[in-house]
Amino acid sequence: MKILGVSAHYHDSAAALVVDGQPVAAVQEERLSRRKNDTSFPGAAIEWCLEHAGVEPDQLDAVVFYERSMLKFDRILTSALRAFPRSWRSFPQAIKNSLGEKVWVRGIISSYLGVSRRKILFTDHHRSHAATAFLTSPSKRAAILTADGVGEWATLTVGHGVRRPDGSTDITLLREIRFPHSLGMLYSTFTAYLGFAVNEDEYKVMGLAAYGRPTMTDRVGKVIRRTPDGAFELVPEYFEFQTTASRSYSSKFVDLFGPPRSQYEPIDLETSDGRRFADCAASVQRVLEDVLVDMASALRRETGLTDLCLGGGVALNGLANARILAESGFARVFVPSAPGDAGCALGAALYADRIYFHNPDRDVPDHPFWGPEVDGTELARAATEDSQHALQLADGALVDRVARDLADGRTVGWMEGSSEFGPRALGHRSILAAPHSSAMRDRLNRDIKYREEFRPFAPVVTADAADRFFELPPGGARLARFMSGVFPVRREWRSRLAAVTHVDGSARVQVLDREMAPRLHALLEAYGRRSGIPVLLNTSFNVAGEPIVNRALEGYSTFRRCGIDVLVAGSTVVTKAADAMSTVSQEALA
Amino acid sequence: MRPVHQWVWGDMDRRVRKLLMFAEVETDGGRDILRAAELTPDPLLRRLYLEHAVDELRHGVMFRERGTALLRARPAKPRGLFDGTPLPGGHGLDDLAIDGEPDHRLLAFLHVAEKSAAGRFTVYREVVDDDPDTRAIFEQILRDEVFHMNYTYTQLARIRPRSYKRQVWLARATRFWKRYLRIAASFAGFMGAAMLTVIYFVLLPPFAWFAKRAARRDAPGWRSIATDRIESPASQY
Repeated sequence: MKILGVSAHYHDSAAALVVDGQPVAAVQEERLSRRKNDTSFPGAAIEWCLEHAGVEPDQLDAVVFYERSMLKFDRILTSALRAFPRSWRSFPQAIKNSLGEKVWVRGIISSYLGVSRRKILFTDHHRSHAATAFLTSPSKRAAILTADGVGEWATLTVGHGVRRPDGSTDITLLREIRFPHSLGMLYSTFTAYLGFAVNEDEYKVMGLAAYGRPTMTDRVGKVIRRTPDGAFELVPEYFEFQTTASRSYSSKFVDLFGPPRSQYEPIDLETSDGRRFADCAASVQRVLEDVLVDMASALRRETGLTDLCLGGGVALNGLANARILAESGFARVFVPSAPGDAGCALGAALYADRIYFHNPDRDVPDHPFWGPEVDGTELARAATEDSQHALQLADGALVDRVARDLADGRTVGWMEGSSEFGPRALGHRSILAAPHSSAMRDRLNRDIKYREEFRPFAPVVTADAADRFFELPPGGARLARFMSGVFPVRREWRSRLAAVTHVDGSARVQVLDREMAPRLHALLEAYGRRSGIPVLLNTSFNVAGEPIVNRALEGYSTFRRCGIDVLVAGSTVVTKAADAMSTVSQEALA
Repeated sequence: MRPVHQWVWGDMDRRVRKLLMFAEVETDGGRDILRAAELTPDPLLRRLYLEHAVDELRHGVMFRERGTALLRARPAKPRGLFDGTPLPGGHGLDDLAIDGEPDHRLLAFLHVAEKSAAGRFTVYREVVDDDPDTRAIFEQILRDEVFHMNYTYTQLARIRPRSYKRQVWLARATRFWKRYLRIAASFAGFMGAAMLTVIYFVLLPPFAWFAKRAARRDAPGWRSIATDRIESPASQY
């Protein structure tokens, strides 16, 4: 059975193809269109998935959209009515947005692919999240918690899933919290207040939180109240996201927390305003964690299960995930590589396969590499044409060469195999560097990533060495498989892992199994033999404001215009020739 | 148009807004040209596009830094102008779809766009005479624009030796057409918004009353999901 999953129109669009119960391709539209967080209909992603699997649209048994678009429209309309007359500004825009494209998704998919409308199916937004989290995990029976900004009406759900030996699968959602009460919207509101981009920069709030102290939790407690049944509510006077698209917090919110940060002002932690913003980030982070830990603990008591699958955009919060693992009583916590809306494309397809069509359960390969493959020959050709030094090396020689470069303090753009599905670079589209000095961190922020100084870099470590350098609780290595948890760096290693140790002594570590990325694993071991520390700094291969690179030429163009020293794609290694660019202008005008 | 530009640039808030908007436009344009560099099969064009893209991205940084500096220097920040409100972004290269665009059309388009930008920036440079730092940015960018104009024309002549002048005229016409479409779309958007606003105030009040009444009955907290609910895979509701 061939099932295409599609997510589109709100956050990062994506497509995923499931054939005979197994994913065969999944990619976010942004990786192909090169527009970060591309929300448009994922035509290029769909085409790539079908082409990659050699499937014609008429061979598809079903196309599953990841949410029920009319139910979402119902929520938008109802929210506008409830906020009458304050919603008069946002109403025309919301209606135009919805009626312009979003509610016609069945027709759009049908006409785009030329498939019958009967083949186009829908799931609930949070069921798609739940399916992504549970059906891609190795767990046979798990509690499920999903949390994001908002789906149709639900913003947070809890339930459980079971994959039985007879092949049948069930995902049961027990309860939900409904819009406008939303942990995702709470965090996004603070993201906007702190001058960052909503739906994009939430992780900056998490990074900033480490610089502050949670001195404002009582104030945050005024805008989010716990309800007697263990849930929460957002106090509407502090928010405006229900009434306008242009501002998510109200004047009362500003009265409570002080003037917001302009997006153009750098955060200077030496100033009182800078410290206030950091404290604010620390406070909302603490409250978010407390609420999630409470809910996860209650779910553990209620279900008696030992595994928890987390889904939704909030599951990208590695600090909260680590606290859930440590404090909620679950032995294992699973977060997929793409817990956000993009991942719903895969979740919706798997949900239809297992639940709608009752196909037998199958284990899904436990890796995130479902995207397009890199072609090293493309890089070799471009580099040679540009008089760059390009080499073709066998695997062993390439690993030794790159390990030496890293040990010599060079930064390496590393492209290998299929790209990751999800927002993290997990070793196939990464920038790698030695993790030892803070100077390397500063250099990466300044010359390569062009991003804020306060943002940390993540380490990648071999699974067998992880415990030596990081304080991983039981289950921590699993959570760190897709870089989903933040854990302390062991005190004695902090000074030697300064580039990847955040100001609070923590790191969002990736623990790498040999089977998941054998060549990167070999590189870590080779680097370990040289330096004594099989740990590398691993950050996504992109510069600020751009999606992670996909093809070799995208890696190459990034390599040419920023401070990366060495580029690897497949078996091709290119070392930067410093003067190649300066001769171009003369050549052009000749 | 000079008095209009003087009026626009004479006010500090508008000046800041313009600079920050230019930062977005130049950055978007830089990314579009970067995409062209990744797609072209011509090695020389790839290098030139890359250099051009780096220039545009740098211009974006210069505009942003200057805008931010002026923003910081303002004595008071009027609420609602910048705080929490996204500033208008640009549309990169006039909504040009780089993927699938042949090099000759892109070069012609870039040439026309750069020439037009150079003309505008020359005027802007004059009207910000009172602000040497902003003026210096325009001067520096104008030098880059000259290179961009020249290389696009030279390369267009190289790859389309017989028809390069026609390509430039076509690019001008396309640009004019797109400008018309943008104005028409803005007007249609305005009319649509006006009609929806009328509908909002005329038709919605009774429904709003019912919606508010229903909302009052909605208790916050957990809401059970019926486990025996039969899902309809085909339903959008």
